[in-house]
Amino acid sequence: MTEAVLKIRNLRVLMQDAGRMVPAVDGISFDLHAGEVLALVGESGCGKTKTAEAIMGLLPRAPASLQTGRIDLEGTDLAVLAESALRKIRGRDLSMVFQEPLTALDPVFTAGSQLAGVFRRHRGSSGAQAREQSINMLQRVGFSDAPRVMQSYPHQLSGGMRQRVVLAMAMACRPRVLIADEPTTSLDVTTQAQVLTQLTDLGRDSGTAILLITHDLGVVAQYCDRALVMHQGKIVEQATVDKLFRSPGDDYTAELLSAVSRSTSP
Amino acid sequence: MTASNRIWANLRRDRSGMTGLVIVMAFFLIAAGVWLGLLGQGWSLADGGRWEPASAEYWFGTNVLGQDIFQRAIFSVRTAFDIGLLVALLSTALGAVLGAIAGWYSNSWIDGSVLWLKGVLDSIPFYLFVAAVAFALQGKPWAMHVAMIATFWTTTGRLVRAEVMKIKSRDFVLSARAIGLPDLLILARHVLPNTSHILLVQTSIAFVAAIKTEVILSFLGLGVQDGVSWGLMLAESTQEVLAGHFNNFLSASLMLFALLMGFNLLADALQDAFDPAQVSV
Repeated sequence: MTEAVLKIRNLRVLMQDAGRMVPAVDGISFDLHAGEVLALVGESGCGKTKTAEAIMGLLPRAPASLQTGRIDLEGTDLAVLAESALRKIRGRDLSMVFQEPLTALDPVFTAGSQLAGVFRRHRGSSGAQAREQSINMLQRVGFSDAPRVMQSYPHQLSGGMRQRVVLAMAMACRPRVLIADEPTTSLDVTTQAQVLTQLTDLGRDSGTAILLITHDLGVVAQYCDRALVMHQGKIVEQATVDKLFRSPGDDYTAELLSAVSRSTSP
Repeated sequence: MTASNRIWANLRRDRSGMTGLVIVMAFFLIAAGVWLGLLGQGWSLADGGRWEPASAEYWFGTNVLGQDIFQRAIFSVRTAFDIGLLVALLSTALGAVLGAIAGWYSNSWIDGSVLWLKGVLDSIPFYLFVAAVAFALQGKPWAMHVAMIATFWTTTGRLVRAEVMKIKSRDFVLSARAIGLPDLLILARHVLPNTSHILLVQTSIAFVAAIKTEVILSFLGLGVQDGVSWGLMLAESTQEVLAGHFNNFLSASLMLFALLMGFNLLADALQDAFDPAQVSV
């Protein structure tokens, strides 16, 4: 296998809760390779989102949270990087898609101006260039009427369309790593399939490593190469998707899998 | 339909709002006429007799010095607009900036300082404060402006602070950070524009408040020092009314009433038209 793009070593995140610090992420380590789709699964509150926020450097500042461990993006330790240096990396080498497409775009600006802003900021594109690049990017995420979408305000777009605009923004600079935090949870099943297909296709095309956070094991089976199973802040199992579903190595994983089969075949 | 189209459509359906708009526009045209030097230029000329009644030459009659009351009332529209616009724009801008910073860094020492300042300013009786500022600035014509701007921003600041605290937890702000925008740029470009409905309404409220306050301050002798204003006309009229001459009193108070009424109607309608529940998501 190729050299890992992102190496997480012994990451711990402590969050302040009622005056004391409780571990939300408890010493996890994993590798993410170029072009792969790695699933991070687990129940609500197991620390999936906090892991993502720690990697992005978006956790609330101390003393609300504390973080230790290495976050190594192609040789740079993001955990010790200054905020200004981190800003250059965010959106260019490392980007993120959030859970809620309804609020992920600023309601007072058009989708196009927000997407073009990414090109202007990280590529230094001029207005006309940024517009062209934006239209191009919107076509890549499956919009046939990209110029019209460019002029639309977020409230004029459906949830699936908005999430694809957000995806276009996240993938605009062909990042090395994309973190998708339950990107399709609030979408219906058909839209979900469409967005996920686009997401994984784009990742494969540009060699982006994708960390897909989800609690949906169906999504894991269909779209991911490997999976990390997280429980109470720890990674309890790390395996290829095939192996995970055929012979789960951990009791918690087995329990998770059986919970799915119970609910889908009553 | 774009947001501004929808706001305009909302406003047009509102009959009292449209009445307000027409009144305000009419006053604005008068003020523009005075600014351009077309109207009310003879306000200080004392060429009539004392207390002449309304006539073809002096539409509203003359005052004790023989000055044309109509010209003075018209020129006062400009005085009112000068003060209203300046105070409304600056105090709202100050409130927006301080409120946004306080809300963005809520629960920090910055937020604490802004809230403390607001608390102090709100706890001083307003006219006492103006008198103190006027005294400190010794006859400077803009003492009144400074006093109003320094106190009027507090309401806007409080509203913007609350709105910013709400907006900053929305995903698009987190997304903006995930894309690599610096904090102050996110605040200026993505958070403040989302408070525009508050700013617009607050500007219109501050405009009315500033004009009203100017009249009261001028009446008390703390306001307009050079020029004429409805407040000065009312101050003149206190003696005249006792002598049975109502022209000064009536023209100043009716003009003031019409402008404030029109503006309040417009502001109410704007508040409805900009209701964020109908404009944004």
